[in-house]
Amino acid sequence: MENKPNKPQSAAPRDHAMFDADLSGAVLNFQLLTRILRWLRPYRIRLWVSGALVLIASFAAVLMEVVISRVLVDYIIVGDVDSPMPDLGLIDLTKSLEVSLGIPALYVAGGLFFFLMTIVGVLGHWHRLTLIDAIVKALRDLRQDLFAHLESRPSSFYDRVPVGRIMTRVTNDVEALYEMLRGLGSLVGEFVPFFVALTIMLSTSVKLTLILLMLVPVVGFATYFFRKATREIFRQVRNSVSALNQFLQENLSGMQVVQLSQRQDRNRAAYTAINQENLAQENRSINLTTYYGAFNDSLASVGLGMIIFYGGGAVVQDEMSLGGVILFTRFMNMLFTPVVLLGEQLNVLFRAMASGERIFQALDWDEQIREPEHPARLPERLSGHVEFRNVFFGYRPDEPVLKDVSVVVEAGKKLAIVGPTGSGKSTLIRLLGRFYDFPDGMIFLDHIDLQAIASKDVRRRIGVVLQDFHIFSGSILDNITLSDPRISRERAISAAKTVNAHAFIEALPEGYDAPLVERGANLSQGQRQLLAFARVLAADPEILVLDEATASIDTETEILIQDGLRRLMAGRTSILIAHRLQTIQEADHVLVLAEGRVQEYGSHESLLAADGLYKTLHDLQFQDAASINSDASVDEH
Amino acid sequence: MNALLRLVPYIARYRWQVVGGFVGFFLARFFEVSTYYGVALGIDAIASLVNGTSLPYGLRITDIVIGIVAAVALRFIFVARARQAFRRVGQQISFDLREQLFASVLVQGQGFFGKIGVGDLMTRAIQDIALVQRLIAFGLIQVVIMIYAPLFGMTAMLFKSVSLTLLILPLLPILYLYAQFVAKQMAVSSQRVQESLSELAAHTQENLSGIRTVQAQAQEENEIQRFFETNNQYSGAFYEQARINSLMTAWTPWLTALAQLAIIVYGGHLVMIGELSVGDLIFFLACLNMLLQPIRMAGFFITMLARAKVGVTRLCEVFDAVPEITDAPKGTAPTKIVGAFEFNQVSYCYPGSLQPSLTEVSFNVLPGESIGIVGRVGSGKSTLLKLCTRMLDVESGTLFLDGAPIKDYPLGQLRAQIAQVLQDPFLFGEPLGDNISYDDPDRALEQVWDAADAAALASTVRGFPEEMKTLVGERGVTLSGGQKQRAALARGLIRHAPVLILDDCFSAVDTETEEHILSRLKALRAGKTTLLVSHRVSTLRHTDRIFVLDEGRLVEAGHHDELIALDGLYAELERLQTQGVQDQAIG
Repeated sequence: MENKPNKPQSAAPRDHAMFDADLSGAVLNFQLLTRILRWLRPYRIRLWVSGALVLIASFAAVLMEVVISRVLVDYIIVGDVDSPMPDLGLIDLTKSLEVSLGIPALYVAGGLFFFLMTIVGVLGHWHRLTLIDAIVKALRDLRQDLFAHLESRPSSFYDRVPVGRIMTRVTNDVEALYEMLRGLGSLVGEFVPFFVALTIMLSTSVKLTLILLMLVPVVGFATYFFRKATREIFRQVRNSVSALNQFLQENLSGMQVVQLSQRQDRNRAAYTAINQENLAQENRSINLTTYYGAFNDSLASVGLGMIIFYGGGAVVQDEMSLGGVILFTRFMNMLFTPVVLLGEQLNVLFRAMASGERIFQALDWDEQIREPEHPARLPERLSGHVEFRNVFFGYRPDEPVLKDVSVVVEAGKKLAIVGPTGSGKSTLIRLLGRFYDFPDGMIFLDHIDLQAIASKDVRRRIGVVLQDFHIFSGSILDNITLSDPRISRERAISAAKTVNAHAFIEALPEGYDAPLVERGANLSQGQRQLLAFARVLAADPEILVLDEATASIDTETEILIQDGLRRLMAGRTSILIAHRLQTIQEADHVLVLAEGRVQEYGSHESLLAADGLYKTLHDLQFQDAASINSDASVDEH
Repeated sequence: MNALLRLVPYIARYRWQVVGGFVGFFLARFFEVSTYYGVALGIDAIASLVNGTSLPYGLRITDIVIGIVAAVALRFIFVARARQAFRRVGQQISFDLREQLFASVLVQGQGFFGKIGVGDLMTRAIQDIALVQRLIAFGLIQVVIMIYAPLFGMTAMLFKSVSLTLLILPLLPILYLYAQFVAKQMAVSSQRVQESLSELAAHTQENLSGIRTVQAQAQEENEIQRFFETNNQYSGAFYEQARINSLMTAWTPWLTALAQLAIIVYGGHLVMIGELSVGDLIFFLACLNMLLQPIRMAGFFITMLARAKVGVTRLCEVFDAVPEITDAPKGTAPTKIVGAFEFNQVSYCYPGSLQPSLTEVSFNVLPGESIGIVGRVGSGKSTLLKLCTRMLDVESGTLFLDGAPIKDYPLGQLRAQIAQVLQDPFLFGEPLGDNISYDDPDRALEQVWDAADAAALASTVRGFPEEMKTLVGERGVTLSGGQKQRAALARGLIRHAPVLILDDCFSAVDTETEEHILSRLKALRAGKTTLLVSHRVSTLRHTDRIFVLDEGRLVEAGHHDELIALDGLYAELERLQTQGVQDQAIG
């Protein structure tokens, strides 16, 4: 077996726990940021426009303050026109408007202020819209790509990683990236006025500006120490929260055991202890965060004091005008808001880094079914000859599930597979459906090596009805066609008619357009089975693989199902994991599996006569279909 | 009634902290306004230096600056302390809610957990409590801002110039109305975002759960296309929300600009005629800013309130649930149980089910007897056992235990003396030893080993490097189905209870091991009552008497040999199974 040409490299089995593990954690990862750029690139024009708009808007916002301090205070109120302070031509503009319009300077200043305000409002709004539009679309695309990637991961992946964990990457993690990009965007929106204001401040008074700028590193240090001090506390908060949740989850799941063991008081005490620990950690973090927050928003006010102190002297020495001093006080917020915001955004950024890492880990998760490099071409219609030859298989390397299984199903014949739970029945048909790679042994479809055929081709030719067939929310019709545009409504209806599903569908108020909820809770077990038949028949595969439902169904429906199944199998090679006597009796051959090996093989009658395992199973498990109905009562919980 | 009112008693517990927070914020606001006023004074002092006029109130610039710094420092302390007070109350209340939630679920029965699943309860414990916590911690601050900001802003402005304040005044109602209008829009759009987000999550979940079907039918491309629609819809809703938000951020300052305009033009005029100082003008602008704070917060606050309301409603649903099983007072039933059960015409029907699970079942169990119970799936076996530990309560008919109706037994007293091993072997994520000695963690290790030995688990445990300290469950060793069942069995055996109930707990254990366990059990349980559900005749024949249930009725009863002689359902079962065994032996 070692010289198989298509043996997949199974040397290092994947560690699926990795998918869940805490990744490198919250660190600045520029590689990650550049990867995100790939999805932003298609919307770069929007981003540039947004940048240009915020620049203009910021400039207007700065001019508004110049109007108040320089035009209103210096020019109009104080009458100080000779000051060397910059006014960006606004005083001259006011003068000329005053003359040309013939209205008092005060009104001109008011009008200018209002005009600038309008620009800030309108352009700011456009800036935010274009920015958000680009981000939302980029992340939509990222989510779409992620989903498409997940859609093609193999069963071995979904066997090991819980759906919930995968799902949060598509939802929560992408959300976190939005928060981050939006945060970065608003940082840009805050930093542009920061630099514009800074330029004007520098040209007004270099000295005072530098004095004020000394406060910026103070924010930086505060943020640094805060982060350092809180890192450990935050970690403990997170731990205590997950301890709380784990304890609760476990107690809820095992509530019967808790109650029967009379552990209520003890567990309550244990829970209180965890709860108290959590409270203590939360309070520790509150102490730090509140002081940090209050410290940050006090700094701008300290700056105001510094301006007054310095300004007094500067004005006396004629270095600054009164308006210049006011200008500084008005700029304080523009100077500090972005710096403080940066500190706050860091947390969002770090959280988003972890999310980004999880998203890209999922995108980079390249586990997949081995596809042949040069897929074999299949004939238009397969005859349906299936052969398993010396198939060995295990989901884990050390736990073989199938051991040397060989069986041939001639074209158009029906094979029933029986065996105790865990004997490998389902595994056998999963291999045929090409859900797993199997390095040991071969399966042939019309004498073509299965692993030399593209998995999509295999699955188009083999219709699989799983026991837990999945019903998607949508209409009945959607569930038959699976929204496949190649399957017309007529074809779906005709399929439903063939498998006896038409009658119950027509009886529904909306017929084929009746909505189904997830898992088909509004259908009976038997109706779901019929629907699953219709779904497979509509796809018209050459080979039918069926894992018969074990659940009890009322006699009437049971008859419909048996009849539908017969029609479904007509002219098709059929491989069935059978639980019903009738199904087995109608099969051409019966394969008995036990502990992964072929135990017996032959027709129903010959196996009964052989008086072996089949006989035992037969006597134990199979009851006449007609007698089952009495058992369809409430099951015990 | 507004669900949020239910929070009042919780908050009332911490009323002094809340009052302290309010006082703290009041002082903080006062010092904030003082800072602005100090700046105004400073500007006036500078102006007087330029003009050569006298200093305001005779204050020198240094005095003013010291005043500003002092006000800032005081504000810093009060604001930090006040925020701490509110946030601590938020944490305290979520602590209390968690305690109450856990205490509430501990007394609930099967019906409750059928209605509200584990996942749902977890969401309530995590998200809904977090919503309340945030409402307290940050919502209270919003309230503070809403009260204090306009209060201080107005007072300060009136103090400086009545006419200018009156000029600005009419704008305020317009602004508040606008804010309210936008807040409503925002509530609607954020609702839409929530909905489309959960739709996105549902779509993803549904698709990934059904991935095998999708792949089996080679429908991946198609599904990706379908996902795009949901994905795009969500993005659209998100954009719309952001648009309304942005519009609010754009419009509010613009409307405020009208007020600023009034300050500039009219205030400027007042300065020029000498009724107002330049500093006062700047002070006005700062106060105006404060006046508008609540408007910026309105949308956020309304959304927060609406979400917290939903959270509180969901939490109260758990708190208000009346336990189906009511505990009996102590003293009405014998304290020591010997295990004589008497079923007298007992029936039981699960809520919402059409067919009763048990119909008029009557039989006696003598103390010290071992009883086997057999029947097909759905015949009422598990229901019957649950009645014995009051996991369910008898509906009609009476179940007597040692002569007293079972409903007269306090739950604690009853369950302490009846050990039940469930069909589903649930293990906690704790060391194996703790799992076995779950009802009493203080037992000697020796006893734990004895129980494991009796359950034929000891040799398996010796194979683990950490033996009884081996962690099981998600974070530890994954046991096989049979090992789990044997661990659960050991958990029942360790108690040496007067009554032992085994609910089909050998299904994953191989026959040979089972045989071994049963023979040990016989010696261990000599003189004590044992009830045992099984499908295997080989198991049942070890018992003193066997009851055969069918469709909720008792159809046969007696010793193995008697039932064989009866040639009924049990005999039929025996024939099928013994033949099978012989066949296997031959084959």
